[in-house]
Amino acid sequence: MTAIDGFRNNWLPAAMMAAAVAALAALCLLDPGQSGLFPPCPLRYLTGWYCPGCGSLRAMHQLLHGNLAAAWALNPMMVLLLPFMMYGTASYALFEIRGNHLPRLFLPAFWIRSVGVAIILFGVARNLPFHPFDLLAPGGMLQP
Amino acid sequence: MFCPQCGASNADNAVVCVQCGRSLQPAAPAVPQPGYPAAVPQVYVPNYLVFAILVTVLCCLPAGIPAIVYAAQVNGKLQAGDVAGAQAASKNAKMWCWIALGAGIAVFAIYGLLMTVGILSNMHGGR
Repeated sequence: MTAIDGFRNNWLPAAMMAAAVAALAALCLLDPGQSGLFPPCPLRYLTGWYCPGCGSLRAMHQLLHGNLAAAWALNPMMVLLLPFMMYGTASYALFEIRGNHLPRLFLPAFWIRSVGVAIILFGVARNLPFHPFDLLAPGGMLQP
Repeated sequence: MFCPQCGASNADNAVVCVQCGRSLQPAAPAVPQPGYPAAVPQVYVPNYLVFAILVTVLCCLPAGIPAIVYAAQVNGKLQAGDVAGAQAASKNAKMWCWIALGAGIAVFAIYGLLMTVGILSNMHGGR
């Protein structure tokens, strides 16, 4: 039972992809900044601090509508990481559907650690209330 | 053992991979050559980095960071030729990804429950 039924006898990837498509459709139709459907970030809700991911749903909504500048202002880190994430996801999806991978990217361990450190530093920096770090808060670059 | 082609977990005495069908009998066992660590290792061990970044940023930072650290260990050990160590780190990376995802889903479920209770009690009070 290989590619005859589309998926390689594993329901989980099919379910995950269906969920991802549904989530993208919802993200495209509804602006998380306006709609109450999307939950707020728990950290922001409880402490008032921004987490490294704050603004990423709104940023993806803007990207789905082609507004790169607005997405960049909401969460620049997400915009930077997105091409890598999309490649990894596409490679995984292609493997589950067709059984072959895209050429693998091998990131040296140093670069993976750097990504982890960058996420933490970005999370701290965007909470600093003074210039230029206030630019990193969600929408900070859109303020006059 | 893990399949060198697709990374699926197989029984240690398996002849072919349950997922992709590749032969698991070692034709020429990979001998790590001392002094010549492969730049890009021949064996594939999944490091779950995309999953780890996603759950760190969107779900649960405290459980996502260990997932990223283990993802780095997977590639670091592969660079050093330590396949067994990389596979152990891979298992840990996967485990922390699921912990982070579970924690994130739990927080949002609690939030959704509170919202529902709040909406229902508002409707009741407004009547």
